[in-house]
Amino acid sequence: MTVSPTILSRRSLRGAVAKAAWPVIFTRTLVYLILVVIVVVEAFPLMWMIITSVKDSHEVFNTLLPTEIKWQNFPRVWFAMNFPVHLGNSFYVTSLSVALVVALATPAAYAFARYRFPGRELVFYAFIGAMMIPPQAILIPMFQFLKSLHMLNSLTGLALSYVGGGVAFAVFLMRTFFLSLPGELGDSARIDGCNDFQVFWHIYLPLARPGMATVVIIQSLYTWNEFMFSNTLITSPDKKTVQSAVFQAVGQYGTDYTALCSGLIIALVPVVLIYLALQRQFINGLTAGALKG
Amino acid sequence: MGAATRPMPLPLRLRRLIAPASFIAPAALAVILTMAVPMADAVLLSLQHWNGMAAPSWAGFSNYSNLMRDETFFRALWHTAYFTVCTVILQTILPLLIASLLNSGIRGSTVFRTLYFMPVIISLAISGLLWAMLFEPNFGAVNGFLRAVGLGRFAPLWLAGAGTVMPSVIIVSVWQSLGFYLVIFFAALQSVPSELYEAAQLDGANPWSRFLHVTVPTIWPVILIVIVLNTINGIKVFDQIWVMTAGGPNYASATLGTYLYTIAFGAMGASNSRLGYATAIAIVILVLSIVVSMVQIRLGRRRDLDSQIEL
Repeated sequence: MTVSPTILSRRSLRGAVAKAAWPVIFTRTLVYLILVVIVVVEAFPLMWMIITSVKDSHEVFNTLLPTEIKWQNFPRVWFAMNFPVHLGNSFYVTSLSVALVVALATPAAYAFARYRFPGRELVFYAFIGAMMIPPQAILIPMFQFLKSLHMLNSLTGLALSYVGGGVAFAVFLMRTFFLSLPGELGDSARIDGCNDFQVFWHIYLPLARPGMATVVIIQSLYTWNEFMFSNTLITSPDKKTVQSAVFQAVGQYGTDYTALCSGLIIALVPVVLIYLALQRQFINGLTAGALKG
Repeated sequence: MGAATRPMPLPLRLRRLIAPASFIAPAALAVILTMAVPMADAVLLSLQHWNGMAAPSWAGFSNYSNLMRDETFFRALWHTAYFTVCTVILQTILPLLIASLLNSGIRGSTVFRTLYFMPVIISLAISGLLWAMLFEPNFGAVNGFLRAVGLGRFAPLWLAGAGTVMPSVIIVSVWQSLGFYLVIFFAALQSVPSELYEAAQLDGANPWSRFLHVTVPTIWPVILIVIVLNTINGIKVFDQIWVMTAGGPNYASATLGTYLYTIAFGAMGASNSRLGYATAIAIVILVLSIVVSMVQIRLGRRRDLDSQIEL
């Protein structure tokens, strides 16, 4: 008998919750609906690309789904568009420029964060200023500069052309990272007899790995995806990077959409794989640049 | 041993510079060689007539004064402004609203963010190539969809039509960058203390006024950064337009970026490529992006938020 008031109050409570819940359920459903529609809009082009890549070429415009999945589009395009060479070119340019950017920017960022010296602000702002320069402004001088060095149409020259901008951005990003590390570590190592370079190399460099990983991700994606410089500074077909190679293929393949879509997918696979493997670091890395700016 | 303890004030001060200078010098050299020198060279080049082969000759400011008489330049300038204004508005407001929906306590926000982020890792060039196929007027998927739902009569020419090419290019840009700005806004929204929303709710504020009066002011520094980033990217826009239309049809989508490229490299090998003139346009892009972003930061900076903006 003593239970009944509790049951009663619980029942009325449930009724009250149900009454209040209806508008909530309605708005929740609406929110999900909007979010799903956006997923469809964002994903549709990618789905279309994947479906088209495995269609037969005369099915492209007639059917929604392929009657038979034609994987052979991929090996066909792989060799016809000479992907082994272009992927290799992109890989070489990306690794060289990323390695240079990390090697050059890390010690500089460390010095800006850990030392006080006359002119520090001024030099640092010069780095920031370099970030503001639009790529078009230096494209033509860079073209002539590499031409005079006989490095036009050279993958090494292309990789070098990315280094300055990458270094400026990486110094900016890594400096914030070094500032977040405690200064006492270096002080105690110095008391133990480490010199400046040993403090950097043995104490701070190992701690800076997450910051370096961010720089590697940003610079890799930027270099791999860069189009204007790679399309301009490289002229011979066998030295093209992936981005300008698929652009060239459009002229060649015209409306052979199955071939083009297979080509685009092959060009995307490396970044997609890295993205899937390092999703969290990838998103954090890319947005860190903007948020810390 | 004696040398180390000897008091030497001036050399000591210099010696304290040795470590930071040697840490910074390689990076500084790289920036000087691949950014500063080409930039200075660009300024000089914009004051010269040069076809890239014969010796360049001094032109004074004639490249710039010729720009003032170049109708195509003004069309490109107008398209650049059009693109920049539209992308700044759409690529700030849409991601902010969607990020707010994701942050409203719904489940699966991580899944949605991951899905929205997919186009971001795709290069602008590949996005452009993909959308050029979708936008194809006769058998592209977009018009195919319009016909399927009975709107075939309205199926536009998209990239092939002078009136629709700029909106089409803007759609591609919004599609590609949505996830990027959304993730930035989402991170900022999560740092907004929930007490602020609770207090607003107690005061009877509806979701919309909570958004306008709590969310927007609190994350204003991040909104300002997104606006500035969008502006800089808009003024220098090139990749996606070049691969889709190369500035066509008949300069209907020419921006400053594509127009300078057409002048400098469109006539590659031909003796009439005007590198000085093209570089003058590049300098216009540089000056525009610096001036406009500075003005935005000035206007957008609020005194009470000054401490939070570190730009």
